[in-house]
Amino acid sequence: MMMKEQGRPVLVIGGGPAGLQAAKDIAEFGEQVVLVERRKELGGAPIRWSYHTLAPDFRPTEEVMGPLVEFCEKNDNVTVMKGCVVEECNGRPGEFRVRIKDESAKEFTEMVVSSIIVATGFEHFDARVDPRYGYGRLPNVIGINELEVMLKQRRVVGHDGRPPKRVAFIFCVGSRDRSTNPWCCTVCCGVSIKQGIEIKQLLPDTQVYMIYMDIRTMGLWEKMYWDSMEKYGINFIRGRVGEVYFTGERLLVKGEDTLVRGPFEVLFDMVVLAVGIEPGPGTKQAANVLKLSLNEYGFLAPRLPNVHFDSGKEGIFLAGACVAPMSVEEALSEGSAAAMQAVKFRRNIVKKVPV
Amino acid sequence: MTGKEQEKGKKKDKEIQTEGEKGKFIIERRYVDDSRIIEPEKLELGGVDMSGRWGTLVLPRTLEDFDTEIYEDVKDLPRGGNIGKCWQCGNCTAVCPVAHEHPEFNPRYLIHIVKMGYTSEIKRHHKAVYLCSGCGLCSAACPKGVDPQGVMIAMSIAFKAHEGELKEL
Amino acid sequence: MLEKDGTVQLGNDEKLELTKDDAKLLEILSSQRRAKLAFGTTEDYLKMLERMKELEKKGEIIVHHVTEEYDPVGVRTLSGRVKRIPTRETWQHKSCGQCGHIPGYISAFYWIMSELGIPYVDDTNQTSCTAWNYYGSGTSNPVALSAVFLRNMHVAYEKNAYPLIHCGTSYGDYKECRYLVIMNRDIRERVRAILKKVGRELVVPEELVHYSEWLHVMRHEVAARRKHDVSNVKVAVHAACHTYKLMAEDYTYDENILGGRKPAPTSSVALALGAQLLDYSNWYDCCGFGFRHILTEREISRSFAYFRKIRPIVRETHADVLITHDTGCVTTLDKSQVVPLAQGYKETIPVISDSQFAALAMGAHPFIVCQLQWHIADWKPLLAKMGIDWKAAYEEYRSYLDKVKGGMKPAFIRSPPRRLEPRGGAKAFRVDEPVMT
Repeated sequence: MMMKEQGRPVLVIGGGPAGLQAAKDIAEFGEQVVLVERRKELGGAPIRWSYHTLAPDFRPTEEVMGPLVEFCEKNDNVTVMKGCVVEECNGRPGEFRVRIKDESAKEFTEMVVSSIIVATGFEHFDARVDPRYGYGRLPNVIGINELEVMLKQRRVVGHDGRPPKRVAFIFCVGSRDRSTNPWCCTVCCGVSIKQGIEIKQLLPDTQVYMIYMDIRTMGLWEKMYWDSMEKYGINFIRGRVGEVYFTGERLLVKGEDTLVRGPFEVLFDMVVLAVGIEPGPGTKQAANVLKLSLNEYGFLAPRLPNVHFDSGKEGIFLAGACVAPMSVEEALSEGSAAAMQAVKFRRNIVKKVPV
Repeated sequence: MTGKEQEKGKKKDKEIQTEGEKGKFIIERRYVDDSRIIEPEKLELGGVDMSGRWGTLVLPRTLEDFDTEIYEDVKDLPRGGNIGKCWQCGNCTAVCPVAHEHPEFNPRYLIHIVKMGYTSEIKRHHKAVYLCSGCGLCSAACPKGVDPQGVMIAMSIAFKAHEGELKEL
Repeated sequence: MLEKDGTVQLGNDEKLELTKDDAKLLEILSSQRRAKLAFGTTEDYLKMLERMKELEKKGEIIVHHVTEEYDPVGVRTLSGRVKRIPTRETWQHKSCGQCGHIPGYISAFYWIMSELGIPYVDDTNQTSCTAWNYYGSGTSNPVALSAVFLRNMHVAYEKNAYPLIHCGTSYGDYKECRYLVIMNRDIRERVRAILKKVGRELVVPEELVHYSEWLHVMRHEVAARRKHDVSNVKVAVHAACHTYKLMAEDYTYDENILGGRKPAPTSSVALALGAQLLDYSNWYDCCGFGFRHILTEREISRSFAYFRKIRPIVRETHADVLITHDTGCVTTLDKSQVVPLAQGYKETIPVISDSQFAALAMGAHPFIVCQLQWHIADWKPLLAKMGIDWKAAYEEYRSYLDKVKGGMKPAFIRSPPRRLEPRGGAKAFRVDEPVMT
């Protein structure tokens, strides 16, 4: 791996939207950046889960992620290390000595970096933890992450290979719940509604029901909510689901319609769970290695909750969903902000220390 | 419970039909809807007399399906076309002068049960649609342009067309 | 009565000083419990067990341990903790409802223990748990309930037999009372004062065991003595709310039975006997008995039992029998079928307890032992499927009744002779002699 003599690079941990944007901005500043990604491919959640389109205007994911990934892989200032994990970090701000492990080759690389950006992203909630919905046990109960792949392949079908005639989306699975995760994942409402619309575009005769607690399509995402009802005839049931039971043929969804103040038990063909965002193993690992504090929810805790990039530790900056649940567009902005901080930091050091 | 099911379960004997008198021995009577109470005037099995309260059954109120036939009709009727835009915010009921005096008239709720196709609820509440005064405050207050004033008119026509099914048994 | 100065007056003119913490403890614990979800209360449950050990160490209470003499078997509970189920020499804590409405329930159970050669203590010196009073009217108070509970536990302790609770309602109530007595000093001291007046001490059982857990643990011995082939019998199981929903973390779950997702007892017995176990959509629903509903909302109880349980079970499973493990459930699910059948509804299914089903499979007499004549819903097709000639059995029963009318002593199920000696000397009865014939 080539290290230019101009100075120590910035280390970016995590190759998702935030990390890629950060790496791109730093490289365009003319600085060196080392991008370490745990998985064997760049792109984070949008690529890993094959997101079909991005809210709010149904932009194909490639349009946003493609240029980022291509830039980082091709640009001379960016050194990409895939399948790697930062194992150790010693030294001091401006001179962090890190040890990076290649998971498959079982090799180590040691280097000195000036500053670090942590952009380790998130994991989708594993709905097996919440047994109400029968995820992982019953056929045709899937998560919004699994539905994206089906939409991308233009093939939404049940386990029997047939398209569903009636689909239920259950909001807030693994979020806003003391028994699983107490926070709100901010994007699931919008993503679920986006997917509902895409199902209707693909299968116009399929009935789509959204079973929600609240609808949180923030800002300009609100348009999807209006369109879902007004243009696509998607139905909304305010209430919660107590149990999903497989009759042997279809899924019986048992819940309460709050507005009727009464129970409903209706048969559906497919149930999609809006599985939320939770901190992943990469975040925990980075926090351990860099001695960063986690808040009560397990996300990285910035010094002030209102300023995400400031980790409270000199030379280390935070960006993206590892700090709080957020959308791709927000993660991109956070990556850029962290990049700015990292470069500012590096150049201050360069001024003080003779090269 | 669909109408057909209620029919199957009943014996040929007469039922106590007078509203308010049915099931008056049920302690939490006011929470149970009249149409769900089956109190036989005369019932016996194997020589044992189970008439009146001893043979009373209360039908369940679980909503088992979405039957959107009436909804589809409303959408096609004049001024009913925007019913699909309703997101149950309740602005219409909030400004409705009739609802303030007669809580049994709730324009938001009528739209909800028609959109969802909850037949048992439509049977219970459809008659209330005639309480609408047509004042139009709802349509002025509605943030989505549902035009509840018009939807009420369309629903009344749709309910009349489906009169037979909606008759309480 | 908690005085203003933070003391409580005990029966024998003693004044007990409560610290501020103790007085508030129950309130804090109840609100914490409310704040957490079902499996969040595991913490409280484990805390209670810790506290029980502490109190024993301090000498404040005696704990009736499940010692090796009772031949215990370990089972996993929902909390993950291993619970020890005594298998021999258990003190039968009977159910008023069973003896009153479903006598076959309990005689079948005694018959099974007798067949397996397992000694038990059928004591007449048992007082009602009064749990139905508590659930039915809500007018009981924690001290009275706990006093009655611990009085029964002391009797079992004296007889040196481990209490085995037959009824789900008693079981649920006792779990709650044990929690109160351990965690709340005020209640504990008042109960101590009451028990002192009847010459008894505070003895708290280490484990609260429901008879269905016993049957679960002994199911292979039961299956080994199976006489009738039940492989063509379709079984649906209903689990009682009081056993697995009240203090859910204390009931038996087994990874190999229903994937550990539903309680193991009763389903495991049906599987061990070789019957076909079927699932249905309203498994978790109450039978309809409720707490006080069967008294105050009986029309709704009866309707709920039929429309929410019996009818869906019949329509979805076409099962031959519905098996449950609680008095109230058998009563409600069975007797609630009368009115719908009179009104012309067609769906019906016999409802019996796991002990009755197991006994029938082992060859017990359907009428003299299992007493199916008390049940409403038609059991004739079930017996036919099990290969039991019910007509012949009924004839036997008729002639048995005639003989009893003529002066013969009715059949009596005796416990095999005990190994253990009762504690306490003079006060204890001789336990290997029947007290009533």
